[in-house]
Amino acid sequence: MSRAPIDAVSLGIMWDRLIAITDEILTAIVRTAFSVGVREAWDLACVMFDAKGRSIAQASLSMPAFIGTAPLTMRHMLARHPVETLKPGDVLVTNDPWLGTGHTPDICVARPVFRDGRVVGFVMTITHLPDIGGAGLAIGNPDLYHEGLILPVCKLVEAGTFNPLLRDILANNVRVVDEVFGDIDANVAGTEVGARLVGEFMDEYGIDSLQPLADAIIAQSEGAMRRELAAIPDGTYRREMAIETVTEALDLACAVTVEGDRIALDFAGTGPAAPVAINVPFCYTRSFASYAVKCLTTPSIPNNDGTLQPISISAPEGCILAATKPSPTGGRHTVGWFIVPLVMSCLADVLPARVQADSGMATLMLVTARRSDGREMATQYFLSGGLGAMDGHDGRAAVPFPTNNAVVPSEVWERETGMRVLYRRMLPDTGGPGQFRGGTGQEASLVNTSGMPVDVSIFGLRTKFPARGFLAGAPGAAREFAINGVAIPPKGRHTLAQGDTLTIREAGGGGYGDPKLRAVEAVAADVASGAVSVARALSDYGVTVDPATGLGVRG
Amino acid sequence: MAWRVGIDIGGTFTDFAALDPLSGRLVVHKQLTTPHDPSAAVIAGLPVLMQKAGAEISDVGTIVHGTTLVTNALIERRGAKTAMICTEGFADVLDIAKERRYDMYDLRIGYPEPLIERAMRIEVSERIGPSGEVVEALDRGQVRERLQRLAQEREIEAIAVCLLNAYVNDAHERDAAIVAGEVLPDVSISRSADIFPFMREYERWTTTTMNAFTQPMLSRYLDRLEAGLGELGFAGGLFIMTSSGGTVTVETARRYPVRLLESGPAAGVHFAARLGETSRIADLLAYDMGGTTAKGALVRDMTPLHRYEMEVARVHEFKLGSGLPAKIPVIDLIEIGAGGGSLAEIDARGVVKVGPRSAGADPGPVCYGLGGSAPTLTDANLSLGYLSADFFLGGEMALDASAATKAIGREIAEPLDVDALRAAWGIHETINEDVARAFRNHASERGFDYRRSTMVAFGGSGPIHALRVAHKLLVPRVVFPAGAGVASAIGMLISPLSFEVLRSDLVELEALQPAAIDQGFAKLVDEAADAFGGTDVRRADLTVSRALDMRYRGQGYDIEVTMPSDLTGAALIEALPRLFADAYEGVFSKSFPDRPIDIVAWKSTVSGPRPTDSTDFAFDRGAADQARKGVRAAYFPAAGGFVETPVYDRLALKPGDSFAGPALVEERESTCVIGVGDRVEIDGHGNLIASIAVAEGTLAA
Repeated sequence: MSRAPIDAVSLGIMWDRLIAITDEILTAIVRTAFSVGVREAWDLACVMFDAKGRSIAQASLSMPAFIGTAPLTMRHMLARHPVETLKPGDVLVTNDPWLGTGHTPDICVARPVFRDGRVVGFVMTITHLPDIGGAGLAIGNPDLYHEGLILPVCKLVEAGTFNPLLRDILANNVRVVDEVFGDIDANVAGTEVGARLVGEFMDEYGIDSLQPLADAIIAQSEGAMRRELAAIPDGTYRREMAIETVTEALDLACAVTVEGDRIALDFAGTGPAAPVAINVPFCYTRSFASYAVKCLTTPSIPNNDGTLQPISISAPEGCILAATKPSPTGGRHTVGWFIVPLVMSCLADVLPARVQADSGMATLMLVTARRSDGREMATQYFLSGGLGAMDGHDGRAAVPFPTNNAVVPSEVWERETGMRVLYRRMLPDTGGPGQFRGGTGQEASLVNTSGMPVDVSIFGLRTKFPARGFLAGAPGAAREFAINGVAIPPKGRHTLAQGDTLTIREAGGGGYGDPKLRAVEAVAADVASGAVSVARALSDYGVTVDPATGLGVRG
Repeated sequence: MAWRVGIDIGGTFTDFAALDPLSGRLVVHKQLTTPHDPSAAVIAGLPVLMQKAGAEISDVGTIVHGTTLVTNALIERRGAKTAMICTEGFADVLDIAKERRYDMYDLRIGYPEPLIERAMRIEVSERIGPSGEVVEALDRGQVRERLQRLAQEREIEAIAVCLLNAYVNDAHERDAAIVAGEVLPDVSISRSADIFPFMREYERWTTTTMNAFTQPMLSRYLDRLEAGLGELGFAGGLFIMTSSGGTVTVETARRYPVRLLESGPAAGVHFAARLGETSRIADLLAYDMGGTTAKGALVRDMTPLHRYEMEVARVHEFKLGSGLPAKIPVIDLIEIGAGGGSLAEIDARGVVKVGPRSAGADPGPVCYGLGGSAPTLTDANLSLGYLSADFFLGGEMALDASAATKAIGREIAEPLDVDALRAAWGIHETINEDVARAFRNHASERGFDYRRSTMVAFGGSGPIHALRVAHKLLVPRVVFPAGAGVASAIGMLISPLSFEVLRSDLVELEALQPAAIDQGFAKLVDEAADAFGGTDVRRADLTVSRALDMRYRGQGYDIEVTMPSDLTGAALIEALPRLFADAYEGVFSKSFPDRPIDIVAWKSTVSGPRPTDSTDFAFDRGAADQARKGVRAAYFPAAGGFVETPVYDRLALKPGDSFAGPALVEERESTCVIGVGDRVEIDGHGNLIASIAVAEGTLAA
């Protein structure tokens, strides 16, 4: 008794309901998962698919990277286990970086939703596990085999029973078994909640198939995306961007071709894969490339198969954005993040009101030590630079992009590590000057007062190539790392002896538009807030600010 | 016998409720809010209320008052010129904030500005370590000199003293506050370790800045209120409602204005919980919807769920993450940007979206005829026949139904190519789905199975939507309480005095000594009991509850564990691992007996005696004796569209009356919409109880 066609009123209500279901799955996982990454940083996602494996809804707070990879993962899963072979109570799994999210710690778990013996859809959840064995996440891993256990697409749960061999293999290969199983179980339980909620939804509305709804969602979204793309002038827009690997420079290249209501992004010209763990499997490239298109065209439309239809993405095999096995990929984000600003810069001239100048991005640091009583300390420090500016919108200071993460409070950090935070300050003059200013970076200084040697493994970026400004905006300041005042390589492992001080200066965001066009009052306010110095107000913006009165004049 | 009076100031109305505890007689009154000086409506309305009650103002023994003054001051940024004294190197903490983006795709999201501008923040040399040790002594001379210099340049009315790690040792904050008091004797001073001694500097300091920012204004308001009530002849005790569902003395309110945030909704939830207790309902959903927002809360085992953080003054579409965090003990509220004034529009997807933008009271919905042209939820509910054009606010305000329908046709129906009625239904049902979604997520995060619970619905718009929302949640029963229109005011007058004190203090469980645990709690209990100074509550009549936040060492998630009241010292320590494991299993369905455990935070709530034992009140009835007022056409999809629907007068219904939907039950402030197949009965307490027929396909879209 499926009601068709679905009018706009029903479509809105039922579409929102599917999103609500994915939201509820996500919160159920966050409540029951063990790892801090899931609980505090929301390093997870939930996506719903129709019976054909087309994505139709996603949880609002999902990680963007996973939203982009999940549809491909679903396709790989169904290629391996065709829908007609699945039974109620089956749950599929994989963490293969090339089939999943680009690195081994992320586990993808999918459950078919049955109704009257037929599959009506799928629910997939993805979380970052606390451990997956091997040498852990380290920049120096020479190949994939150091990066832990890889589960091919297989049945994690078969007709309701957890595969005992798989459980055994996992238990023999990971460090923190309880936490890992706790998180895996949370995924399995989350998809079960999802299947129940889909059933309740179908009961409530008296429908026996999601297909008419799925078709309508996809058609409506695809239409909206195509309308936005059609409004962009046809043409091919190219940019190259230099980024740093460990010490060397590497070029990323992108050509964006808009033709009618379609868009193609090709990364030909990008440099080769590297012998360190920063390589990007193509699924991850595809994900961030479509994320950038989404932010530029239809930011408020929920992602689904429809929004992805008009987008095609390609990269030559073997380049760092389409690395092949067994390249190590643990730190794939340190390269993959740059795809977003690269795509934005390609389109800066044709979508000036929508693009965001380069952001300072963020630093992730893994911190380990052995306490005097033998206990291990393992934690993360996270620090973000400034956001890039946009037309009419200054970049905010100290916000991560395109990733997301939350501040580590100094009081929590001091308590957990015994290290002292000397200060955390905004860095004046680090935001790229522009008619709209890039977000300022920040500086943190950490002293090892713990009484033990502390190892820090840093995935630093933007130390040689700062955030670019757009449309005559100027670049932000670059990132810097130093121990006891001496600069250190941005990627790698360092040991802090007692009394050593690590200082991180986070990069600023790029500016947007000509700084000479910035409103005088805005420059004066920047001086008052400490974002811009009096000297740079004059040299960058041509504005003289009187510190006594706080007033500025151009010239 | 002395009357108890609850007075709740809302955006549009100031609600009054007076209870004679001896007879259980309850009298209510509503007065238009006076935004320029909210105490004016209080002073004007109290005599009217007591006249209705047939008693003198001197017969009033207790007034419990809730005010939105603190919330509004933060939203509108109308507060004191506030300075901040903080640890050297950390003045930018307020700007660095949480670093996180709260929306993944919207690149233009906004964040709230700190309450204290950068130039008003002074850094001073000092450092307390994470274990409370003094790393660097406070330079008092520097505090004096820097504050004097700032005071010469800028006017200072309030000061927030915010030092790193002060939650574990507040000696430097105390000293700095003393120096500040010497430099600026007439300025009010808030210290972070006094306001909320919890780890995490951004949240603690931000909460402290809110306290400082609102303190002088709240203090002046309470002065005016006390003086005005005194002139009316009131000689009883004045108490102020807090966010946690308890009341405090005026003195405590002056010291901790930040604890008054959202006290009105908290009182409403308190009322719902107590109503559940009287009706023997352990688990319930409280659902309150008014003109601009809807609030929800979960009540488990007759106690509202609570938490210790809320967000104030959101700057971006009501989105979580776009406001300032306030760390205070608070009833765990869901806030949804949905109310009668919510604007309906077509979103980027080409489907109906309602809220969070609101038409407010001015111009308000199209049907008010005050110049609004954009359709709202109230316009849709009028078009669907749920609201009566001539009985809105008891007939005080005539509504223009045809203008409402026309606006919906023009703005929604035509662009979507559906008829106006279908569009109106879409607006109505979109809100039902939004509210149900918010409840689902909130309940899911807290492991609360809503499917077998009961909903209690109140507020001006809540009763219109409650049954459809309950259907979606598979909640089988909805209670529309008597007095629903003034639920918060009633909640206030039945709230006990109550104050909670808490402190972060990390202790490894195996190192905890019996004397230390007893002393730790005794200190908190003493501090909490201090808040009862000046009241006639005897120490022996105080109820004490104690709790610890605990976690497995190395895991980032704390779980609150309530201490059994009969255990202390060694026996309590011995019981802790089991108590924690039980609480842990309640969340994770498993526990790890061999893992070391840390205590993270200590909490104690001290409460006075309850003013009443039941919510079985006797309301003054209206004159009407005919319960069935007539019929009007209302839209019920399950009945095939518009049907002639019986309309009942709520005040004329008597215990034992029962009927089946479709039906409309009207009272002055709201209308209960009873769907097809649902049954209604008036219980012995005067509550309207609706039972839902949950059947497949009953909610045709």
